[in-house]
Parts: sequence; structure tokens; C-alpha cells
Amino acid sequence: MTSSTTPILSVRGLSKTFTLHAIDRTVTSLHDISFDLMPGEHLALAGASGAGKSSLLRCIYRNYLADTGTVVLHDGDSRIDLTALGDRQMARLRGRDFGYVSQFLDAPPRQGPLRLVAAAARRRGLDEADAREAAADSLRRLGIDERLWDVDCSVLSGGERQRVNLAAGTVSPPRLLLLDEPVSALDPANRVLALEVIEDLRHRDVSVLAVYHDMNIIRRVANRVIYMEGGRIVEDGPVDEVLGAGHRVLEEAFA
Amino acid sequence: MTMLTSAPTGIDAPRDVLAALLPDDPHQGRPVVMDEQAKRESRRAVIAGICIPGYIVPFGSREMPVARGWGSGGLQVTLAIGSSDDSVKVIDQGDEEGVNAVNLRRLIVGTLGCDATADTAESTIVQSRHRVPEEHMGTHQTLVLQVPQSEPLRGVEKSVYECKRRHSEADYAKMWVGLYERLALTGVMGTGTGHPVMVHDRYLMSPSPIPRWDVPRLHQSDHLTILSHGRDKKIYAVPPYTNVEPIGFDDVPFEVEYDAAVRCAKCGTDESFMIETRTHEFICSDVQFCLKVRAGQADLEAHDRIVPRRYYPDPSLRVRAQADAEVEWSVAAGTGVTAPGQEWSLKVAGLGKVFAGRRGSSEVVAAAEVSFDVAPGEALGVIGESGSGKSTVMKCIIGDELGATGEVRIGAVDEGRTNLLEMTPPARRRLRTDTLSVVYQDPAMGLNLDISAGGNIADALIAAGWRSYHAIRRRAAELLERVDVPLDRIDDVVGQFSGGMRQRVQIAKALATDPQVLLLDEPTTGLDASVAAGVLDLLRELLAEREMAVVVVSHDFSVIRALTDRAVVMRQGRVIEQGLTDQLLADPHHSYTQQLVAAAHS
Repeated sequence: MTSSTTPILSVRGLSKTFTLHAIDRTVTSLHDISFDLMPGEHLALAGASGAGKSSLLRCIYRNYLADTGTVVLHDGDSRIDLTALGDRQMARLRGRDFGYVSQFLDAPPRQGPLRLVAAAARRRGLDEADAREAAADSLRRLGIDERLWDVDCSVLSGGERQRVNLAAGTVSPPRLLLLDEPVSALDPANRVLALEVIEDLRHRDVSVLAVYHDMNIIRRVANRVIYMEGGRIVEDGPVDEVLGAGHRVLEEAFA
Repeated sequence: MTMLTSAPTGIDAPRDVLAALLPDDPHQGRPVVMDEQAKRESRRAVIAGICIPGYIVPFGSREMPVARGWGSGGLQVTLAIGSSDDSVKVIDQGDEEGVNAVNLRRLIVGTLGCDATADTAESTIVQSRHRVPEEHMGTHQTLVLQVPQSEPLRGVEKSVYECKRRHSEADYAKMWVGLYERLALTGVMGTGTGHPVMVHDRYLMSPSPIPRWDVPRLHQSDHLTILSHGRDKKIYAVPPYTNVEPIGFDDVPFEVEYDAAVRCAKCGTDESFMIETRTHEFICSDVQFCLKVRAGQADLEAHDRIVPRRYYPDPSLRVRAQADAEVEWSVAAGTGVTAPGQEWSLKVAGLGKVFAGRRGSSEVVAAAEVSFDVAPGEALGVIGESGSGKSTVMKCIIGDELGATGEVRIGAVDEGRTNLLEMTPPARRRLRTDTLSVVYQDPAMGLNLDISAGGNIADALIAAGWRSYHAIRRRAAELLERVDVPLDRIDDVVGQFSGGMRQRVQIAKALATDPQVLLLDEPTTGLDASVAAGVLDLLRELLAEREMAVVVVSHDFSVIRALTDRAVVMRQGRVIEQGLTDQLLADPHHSYTQQLVAAAHS
């Protein structure tokens, strides 16, 4: 198989049910999810709140433990089953080979944006000096004022935090990136900056699996869409097809 | 008692009575101060002491007709080894005419029926307080020293049990910590008298309060030295031709009291131990030697051979001269050692610990089947509430708690082949010097609050074999700087530090020898929130820059989350759940973990 036909990520039969012991209840969030992500592809996950989009990202990143199914990361001829991987290997892989940008900045307390982003770059193999330079670059591109680089992340505004988060995720980007609503809290001007950074990922051979709520953004940055409902995949295809004329329901859902 | 309080000349009448009563009396009518049984026992202790040079032998010290502390120990040895054939010299601070010396001499002469002499060369036994005679002593002579403090470690270690343990394990690091403290605070070693010595590379010994000038005289001497402490009931000895090395630092050596400008006002020599008179002159402390020099009868050639020139002060080696020497900074980052072919540098497998039931309490399983391993550069969290067994697991790893079952292995220890739980307690304690470090919740557990911050770090370095004062000081400064303790507080007693600062010093001490494995036991619990945050930030940075295998034990998810990638959850002595730390927080499976997470969010 050539690299263009080998997926970078294969998800098969993924299911997730939460057991909440305190209230003695179970909540199912994913049903038998299967799909492939091809190298260089920008796959958007769409669907209403609670459809399971974020849960899917988290199950892939092992932030949630899937009940059944496999998530296989392909690297040349080697395949790594992320659901069966040891915790230590998973922790190493996360820093280096694939990244996750959550909806909210999850910064260690009392750390400034520059250190945070530089630390992410260091985990991806850059040395101290290069990491700082790359981090500064990344923050500048996302319009984070230099005066904010050393202030505690917790005092930043929501939009600033989201951009710092995106900077940490995309600095010296890994081969595979999971993005969870990366521009949801941004004003139009900053949204443009962020989308430029996200679009640029394709030119850097980064495969992206991302959750967006805005159809216009999907049309602009993604080349494929998976539409989810109640924890299942109901549509999977090229952006033009899924969001085309024949699928008015979707258009209405996002109107 | 009447016969003992009166002068020897006054006891003629009782002596005659005794002679009449006991015609075969070995004492030939002399007063029996020490019976034969007591003498034999003392001699046995002396022989044991000679067989194990420097080792402190207990003996059944008897009541003597002198007060304890006035030479009763030395007196018993002299009476036990002496006979009427001997010629005894008794000196007190170098003087035979002191009241105490005169009394002891008359008692010994009257009891043994021996001769007394003032001349060192003529004597067979010299009983002395505070001095070794200036003149050479030969193979036929025995020096008996009266000792006011037999335990060399007493000054730095209050526990008798700990002193014993340290002697048995030759674990004398604390002694150098004491020297470090004095050097750091005063610039000189500062041991006036009784400078501790290493006897034949095995036992640390207190040579009684002889001046430093006399200490080299014990090394490879021709004569036998017996030291006895009556009040403490202890005897120890230095046989002839034994190595006796005063302890010191490689770069700040031991030195004797010597000043080329000071000469004896009476005999003119500069090479003897001097005392200052009230008129600010200096005279020889050894009166007989001084008299002999003046009379031209001293064997100056022999004296020349035993003068401790090797230890004359060398100002260039004094600390003060180098106090401002430039400090070289370096960030040391230990390299992780794993077991061959393995990823881990710490492995715990099937660890169990049961506290046996006793009257009034039933058996408690504190830990059962606990297994995890940690790789270099990785931090593993152990989380659980009080009583979950997490602290027991930690204590079993470091050896504070014995009698555990299962396996604990460290990659750097015998390539991970040896189960730490099967090692002897001394061997496990040695691991603590450079392989395995702990930061306790309570800084007082890991630090000596009575000594300086630098001294505490010196403690760890000395235990690991560092013997260069300046290197120790540089390293201590470097570490304190790294943990943000102001350098001008390096010589301040840790007991005066705030809680957060103490914890920083404890962290610096734990990292001093670049351990392979670091255990953090509730490192920020007990600190104010803002202080705890600072310590947590420091730990996060330190962990990131070093390749250590780290175990963080805490009840607090925020600590585990800040420091670790992986964690195990413990409850009732067992690991009930494990995973990536963020996964345990986001998707806890066990009902107990869910409770813990819910509590952390509140």
C-alpha cells in the first residue's frame, strides 16, 4: 500500500458508556464508531451538542477509556493500537506524535503563555532555544500581545486562553492533531488569525480531526465531514456532499 | 574508709593488723582499693579493647576512693594492670604537682606498692589527664588516659542507640557534618581538645581531651594507650603501631596548635604544647619536659622525631583564605539508570504489608498486591485517602517499614536483580545516601532543624562520601540557589526558617546526590496555600529538568495532577484503579475514584 491509501488513524467499533456510581446510572455517549483518517486530511466532526463529538476525540486521546473498539495509529508499516497501549507509552506518544487541543485551556497553574507553549515544543523534540523561538513565533501569529507572554495564564481572557491553547497545540505540530472547537470563543478578527494557523496545518502535512459548530468554518478548512447524532455517525463524506443541497437537514441544524 | 582518707603514712597501724591477720596476703598489708575480681574484669575489658582498636568496651566500673570525674576510670585501669614492679607517673594537665595528680599518685603507690616517678623515661605506666607526655614513650610503657567523654558521636547524636548503630555500620558522616558546621560558622575546625580520630580505618574514637598537638602521638606509637571512663563504665585502647588518623576534610585538614613565634619563656623551645601564664608569657605545659630541656637532659633527637610537623598550620588551607573563592555553577542532571532490557528504574511488584494483631487491636492489612513501575524522567502518582496504604507503600520502598512481602527493585541497584526487601537494614540505609531520596511531608523528618541549611545538605553529601569542604559548600550553595533559598541564609539554622523554606531545603537535600529514585510524600501538605503553590511549581520544574524516577504520594488530586502523567488509586491497601492522570480525572471508573474526583472538584 502506498502512503496515500494507508490511513494515519483507524477507528473501529468504538463505544463508550459512563457508569456514574453516585447516582447509579449509566450514560452511553458513543455507539460503534468506525472511520479512517487519511494522511493530510482535515476531517471535521459536526453535530448537535451531546452528539458525542468531544467524547470521540477524548476516547482517541485516551482522556476517556473506550469500552470496546480499537483506535490504531499508523506510522509507516507499524501500527499502534492506542486502546491497548500501556499508560507510559501513551504518555510519551501524546507529547510527541499526536496532540489534542481541548475546548478549554488546561494550563498548569502559575505558568505564562511563553513557558507553556515552549514546553509543548520541547516535548516535540525541539531544544530549549529553538522551543522558545518557535513558541514566540506561534504566539505572535495568533496575536497574543508580547506583554502577556509571562503573565499567569489564569488571568488571560477567554479568547486569549483559547489562542494560547491553540498555539501550544500547533507549535512544531505533530503528525496528527485533535482539535475540539478551537475557535469557539474568538472574536471575528482573532478567528481569522486562528483559522490561518489551522489552514496552514495542511501545508505542513498534519492530519487533523476537529470539532466545529460553524458550517462556514468547516467549508473553509475541512475536506471531509462526519455528522454525528446520539453517539452514532449518520453521515460521512466530502464537505460538498454532506453539506450540499441534498442535505438540507444539516444546513438547517447549523443555520 | 578511714584508711583511705588518711595519708599513706597514717595507715601503718591497719597495715600491721592486716599483715598479722593474713600472712599470705598478696597485698602485703596494703589497702585493698580494688579486689582481684574487679581487677580481672577490668583487665579483660582492656584486652578486648586492645583486640579491637578504638572499640568501646563496657566494664563494671567500681566505686573508687576518688569522685567520679576525677580519674576513677584511669585509676581502675592502672590498679588493674599495675604491680609492685611498676614505676608510675601521674600527670594532670602536664603537671605532676597538681592536687589531683598528687592524690592519685599516693593512692596508686600506696595500693600497688610500686614506685612513683616524675621522669617519663623511667616510668612504666603513665596515668594522665589532658596530656600525652612530650617525651617519646617506648614499647615497655603504657599510657593510661582518663576520659571525661568516651562517645565521640555524643556531640552530634543524642541517641545512645543511634551512636551504637553508627559505630557498628561505620556510619560516621554526622561527625563531618559537625566539622562542617564549625568550619562554616567560625572558619576554623574549632575542636580545641579531644579531636575525633579514626582508629585503623574502622572505629571513630574520642582521644580524651588531649590537645590537638598530642593527637598524632597516638598514631603508630611504640607504646600502648588505654583510655578509661569510670562514670560511663567504658574502656577502649590503641595498641602500639595502630593507625590513628584525626578526621578532617581533604581540603581543610586537621592542624595542631603551633605558632613559630611562640617560645617557652623558660626553656626556649617552640616545639612543645604551650600554655599561657597570667603574665601573658608562654611556657611548656609538660613541666618535667621543660625542666629536662633546661637541665640539658632531654633526648631532643627522640623528641624531634615525634613532633607533629606534618600538621603544622598552613594558612593557605584555612577556610577564610578561600571563603570568597569563586563559586562554579552547574546544573547537574542525573541520568536515569534502568535495569538492563527494562524501561523502569523503580519496580514494585506484589508488595504487601500486614501489621500483626496485638492485644486490643486486630490484624491490619496495610498493603496487598501493590504493583507499579516507574521509568526515568517519569512521575507516578499514588493517590488515596488517609489509611489507604499509600504511605505504607512508600515506607516499605524506602525501608522505614520492614517486614514487607513482595518485590522492590531499583535499576541502579545490582541492575535490578536484587530485591530491596531482602537486603539488610544497613544496606538499605546506604541506598538512601545516593540512590533513593525522600521528601517527607514534615521537613523535620528529613532535616536536622538544629543545624544550618548548608549543614543539612552537607549531611547528604558527606554520607555519599564527599570529603572536600569547598566542594560541599559550592554544591550546597548551588542547590539552595536552585530551590530559591537566599544564599545569605546558607549558614542559618533551619529551625529558624519558615515552613515553605524548610521544605525547599529538604528538597535541595533530597536532590543533593542526584538520586535515581525520588519519593515525595505529601510534599505540599501542611503548607499555606500560597507557599504550597510555590513549592509545587518548584517541584514541577525540578522534575522536568532531571531524569529521575519519581513517585508522588498524596491525597490531593491537584498535586498529583500538577506533577504526574500516570497514577494509581489506592484504597484499603490495594490498587483499585490506575491510568493516565488526566484520564483518571476525566473518566474515573471505580466508584471510589469518582468520589475522590468529585471531592477534588469541590
